[in-house]
Amino acid sequence: MSRELTNGRIAGGVALALAAGAVVALTVTSETVLSLLTQATIFAIFALGVGILLRQNGMVSFGHAAFYGLGGYVVAILLERQLMSAEMALVTAFFGIALFAFLIGFVVVRVPGIAFGMLTLALGQMFYQVASRSRNLTGGADGINIPWPDTLFGLDISLLTRQDAMFYFAWSGLVLSIGVVAALMASRFGATTEAIRDNEERARFIGIQTLLPRVLIFTLSGTVTALAGLMSAFQTAFVSPESMHWSVSGTALMMVIIGGYRYLWGPALGAIVFFMSRDLVGDFAQHWLAIFGVALIVVIVFAPQGISGALARLFRRKAAVRPATPAVIHKLKERT
Amino acid sequence: MLSINIFNGLVYGALLVVMSSGLALIYGLRRVVNFAHGSLYMLGAYLGYTVASHTNFWVAQVAVPLLMGLLGLALDRFAFRPLQDRDPLTVILVTFGLLLVLEDLVQTVWGKSNLSVPAPELLSASVDLFGMSVPAYRIAVIFFGLVVAGALTLWLRYSKMGLFVRAASTEPTITSMQGVNVDRLSGLVVAVGTALAGLAGIIAAPFLSLSPSMSSDVIIDSFVVVVTGGLGSLSGAFAAALLLGQVQAVGAVYLPEFATVLPYVLMMAVLLWRPAGFAGNRV
Repeated sequence: MSRELTNGRIAGGVALALAAGAVVALTVTSETVLSLLTQATIFAIFALGVGILLRQNGMVSFGHAAFYGLGGYVVAILLERQLMSAEMALVTAFFGIALFAFLIGFVVVRVPGIAFGMLTLALGQMFYQVASRSRNLTGGADGINIPWPDTLFGLDISLLTRQDAMFYFAWSGLVLSIGVVAALMASRFGATTEAIRDNEERARFIGIQTLLPRVLIFTLSGTVTALAGLMSAFQTAFVSPESMHWSVSGTALMMVIIGGYRYLWGPALGAIVFFMSRDLVGDFAQHWLAIFGVALIVVIVFAPQGISGALARLFRRKAAVRPATPAVIHKLKERT
Repeated sequence: MLSINIFNGLVYGALLVVMSSGLALIYGLRRVVNFAHGSLYMLGAYLGYTVASHTNFWVAQVAVPLLMGLLGLALDRFAFRPLQDRDPLTVILVTFGLLLVLEDLVQTVWGKSNLSVPAPELLSASVDLFGMSVPAYRIAVIFFGLVVAGALTLWLRYSKMGLFVRAASTEPTITSMQGVNVDRLSGLVVAVGTALAGLAGIIAAPFLSLSPSMSSDVIIDSFVVVVTGGLGSLSGAFAAALLLGQVQAVGAVYLPEFATVLPYVLMMAVLLWRPAGFAGNRV
C-alpha cells in the first residue's frame, strides 16, 4: 500500500472518530456519564502510551505512571509558584517531559527484557517516593490543587470545564494522538523500529542504527503518557502521589493487554472497556480489581491478542475468504 | 540512634532474606518474576493470624508454610507449568492478575482494618543487647533469617535434590536430558518458594501490623533485592537483602530525606552497571 493511501486512510479514520466523539458530546446529557467517559478517554491516552512501547519496542514498563503524574506535577508546581502563565506552563510541561523521556530513554532502553521492567518499576517508585516525601515541593501525600486561571488560550475557563467540552477535548487528544502515532508507524521510522524489535542484531547488520529509534519510541511513549497526565490535571485540577504509584502503571498495562496492543486503538479500547465494565458491575465494585485480575489472566491465556485482536479476526473472516495455504508450506510442515 | 537503626536494618534484612529467597528460587527454575509473591506473603500473615488466634504462634509458624506450600504446588501445576513456553512477560502479567485476586481475597475474608498478632510469650520481653533495650522477638527474626539462609544453602549445596535444582536453574534442557524430571522439581521449588513467602508473612506478623497495604511495600523491596543480587541467585539475594536493610537503616540517619529513594538508586546503579545483578547468574 502506498504511503499516500495509508495517510489518507488515517486522516479518514481520524475525521470519522472526531465526528463520532462530537455526536457523543452532543447527545449524552448526563454529567456523570460524560465525566466517566472523560476519565476513560484520559486513561485511553495513557494506555496508548504504554502500548506503543510494547508494540514497537517489545518492552513492558511498570513505571509509566511517573510520566503520567509528572504531567500534573510540573504544571501544578509552575502554576502554584506563579512562574509563568498557564499556557506556557502546559507547553513547558509537555516538551520538558518529552526531553526528560528522551534523556532517560538513552539509559534505560539499553537494559534488556525483564530487567527493563524492574528498572522502570524502580524509577517509577522513586518518583512516587519523592512526590510523597518532599512536602515543600509537592505538598507530600496531600497532593497539590492546581490553580487554573480564569481564561486559558483566550477562552473562558467555565467554558472549558463543562463536562461535554472536557470530554470532547480529551477525545480529540486521544484521536489525534492515535492519528499521529499511526502515521509515524506507517512511515519508514515505524518499519525500522519493528525490524529492531524483531531482531536487533540483524537490524544492526543491515546498517540500521538501533539505539536511537528505540530511544525515540520510548520518548514518544512517555510523551503520550504525559499528555494523559496533563489532561487529568486539567479535568481534576488536582494531582497527588497516588497517580504515580506502581499499581497505576500496572493498571494501565492491564488495559493494554486486555485491549490488545497489535492495533494502536487496542489499548484505548482496553481502557474504555475497563471503565465501562467497572461502572456496569456496580454492586460488585469492591471486588472490581479481582474481577479484572481474572479477566486479565483469561485474556492472556486464551486470547493473547486481546479484544482488538479478536475483533479484527472476526471482521476479517467475514470480509475475505482466507487464502489457501500453498502446498509447499504444507510439505515443509509435514517434514518438521 | 545509629546502632538501633543498624539493628533494625538487620531485622528487616533478615525478613527480606526469607522473602526474596523464595522469589529467587521461583525465578531460578521457572524464569517467572512473581508479582504475586508479596500477596502470598500477606496471605501467609493473615492465615498466621487466624491459626495463631485459635492455637498459638508456633503452630502457625509450622502450619502456614505447609498450607502455602500446597498453594505453591497448585500455582505451579495450573499456572507456571502450562505457561512455561510462553513469553516470560505474559507470565509476569498472569502473576499480576493473581496479585489482584489475592489482594481482594484477603480484604474480603479478613477486612480492611489493621490486625496484629502478639509475639509468643517466650519472646515477648525486651532484652539488653550492647546497651540497647530491644524486643526479644526482633532478635528471633534475625535468627529465623539465619536459619532459612543456612537451611537453603545446605539443601542446595549438599543434597542430591539441591544439585538437581542448581543444575536445572542453569540448564533446564540438559538437566532433563540427564533424567531429572524438571517439571516435578520445579513444582517442588515453587512450593518451597511459596512456603517461604508464607513463612515471611508469619514472621513479620508480630512486628509489622497486618493491613491490606502490607504487601505492596515489601514486594517492591524484594524485587530490589533479587534484581540487585542477580535474578535467580540465592547467595546474591542474601547479600542484597542485608545490604538493603542497612542502606535503609543508615540512610534514615544520615540522609533522612532520601532514605526511601536510596534502594531504588542502588538498584538502578547495579542494573546499569551489570544488568544481570552483582552475582550474575550463579545460584
